[in-house]
Amino acid sequence: MTYAFRVNGEEVELEADGLRPLVDVLREDLGLMGTKAGCFEGRCGACTVIVDDRPVVSCLYPLALASGCDVRTVEGLAAADGTLNPLQEAILDTGGVQCGISTPGVLMALTALLERNPSPSEDEIRAALAGNVCRCTGYQKIVDAVLAL
Amino acid sequence: MIQAVPPRLPVLHRRARLYLETVSQIHEPVTVGEAVALLDSLGEQAAPLAGATWVMREAARKSHYVSLRRLQTLRAIERGVDEVRVGALATHDEIGGIEPGTGPLGALAEAARRSAFPAVRSVATLGGNIAAPFPEADLLPALLAASATLELALPSGPVSIDIGAERPAGALIVAARVPAPPGRQAWFERVTVRRGAEYSIVSVAVSVDLEDATVAAARVAVGAVQDAPCRVPAAERQLEGRSLDRAAGEDAGRAAARSLNARDGLDAPAWYRLEVLPALVARAVTRLAQQWKGDR
Repeated sequence: MTYAFRVNGEEVELEADGLRPLVDVLREDLGLMGTKAGCFEGRCGACTVIVDDRPVVSCLYPLALASGCDVRTVEGLAAADGTLNPLQEAILDTGGVQCGISTPGVLMALTALLERNPSPSEDEIRAALAGNVCRCTGYQKIVDAVLAL
Repeated sequence: MIQAVPPRLPVLHRRARLYLETVSQIHEPVTVGEAVALLDSLGEQAAPLAGATWVMREAARKSHYVSLRRLQTLRAIERGVDEVRVGALATHDEIGGIEPGTGPLGALAEAARRSAFPAVRSVATLGGNIAAPFPEADLLPALLAASATLELALPSGPVSIDIGAERPAGALIVAARVPAPPGRQAWFERVTVRRGAEYSIVSVAVSVDLEDATVAAARVAVGAVQDAPCRVPAAERQLEGRSLDRAAGEDAGRAAARSLNARDGLDAPAWYRLEVLPALVARAVTRLAQQWKGDR
């Protein structure tokens, strides 16, 4: 079956099994390697992307449901010339990036939060990150980055 | 237009490999009747596909899935007189916003807010939580304690059943009707290994009908302890006729622990579930009591 949707504003059309995980399509078919495939069980949040303004774990999100949707990945956050956005800069500045595996998912979860709530409290930030596992930073630096925005 | 690049093989992850081994056909009906007819004609080979968070983790794929994506009327949450009708495709996120406090829908909304984490709550549906066969389903205890009614669609037409009744084979869940009479209060509590983003080790929903400070009727449901969430009449009897306070909650919790057969799991042994259950029931009852006092 053919599925058409948008990724970071660009039209995509491809023929594939509708139950393929979106993360797999993004990485293997579209070459967008920013989204990380961690557990493939919906437990680590590394593959978080935004579909129609909602954060989703793209390992549990089948291609068939993305049909007609706007998908945003970490590649869409920086400007076309590579300039990082304020959230990306803040996470770098505070030391909220270490090994980097969880970072794309963290950025997309936080982007979804900030679009709904531009000035979240610390509790709201932590609640938004409840599904994003990071074993390096202890989360504090990531939370500090958002509070510093 | 982004150009597709040739796939890099091998794709090593076992979940990613599944699609190579099984290609499922996805159907996208535009009416409930069409969806039910498809499920009926395909029988065992097919299952409904809603938020997909359960289907995507299953070890074996069906050869057909009936996607409910185009049935957006099933997503509506409608408030009637003394009742709220929650569509089967309403997400946990949407259900979490129904009721901020401990009103009649308080347990259901709190269960939805505490379940999983934002990137799952954004897609996981009411219908999926009812249909997926797992003991930790958080919405079910809340629906049981609310004495909700399920609206089902069958090839023979629509039927309504009690939330605790067995669903006929091939039935598509359309909505849950949750009673919301005046004087009813409900709350939900759960305990997990970590603070959030985990399955419940024990979950509890308590719903009471108050006449002044006295519990005229109570419904208590427990999830994650047995193989399926269930009502616990022994706990309800401990609350009925008494004033709503922590002592009554503790008695109800102990009665619940005595009447359930807990299951062992990798997350917690059976004895642990029963050990924490009384405290959780007491916590939910205390929350209701505090709210009642605050409302005076």
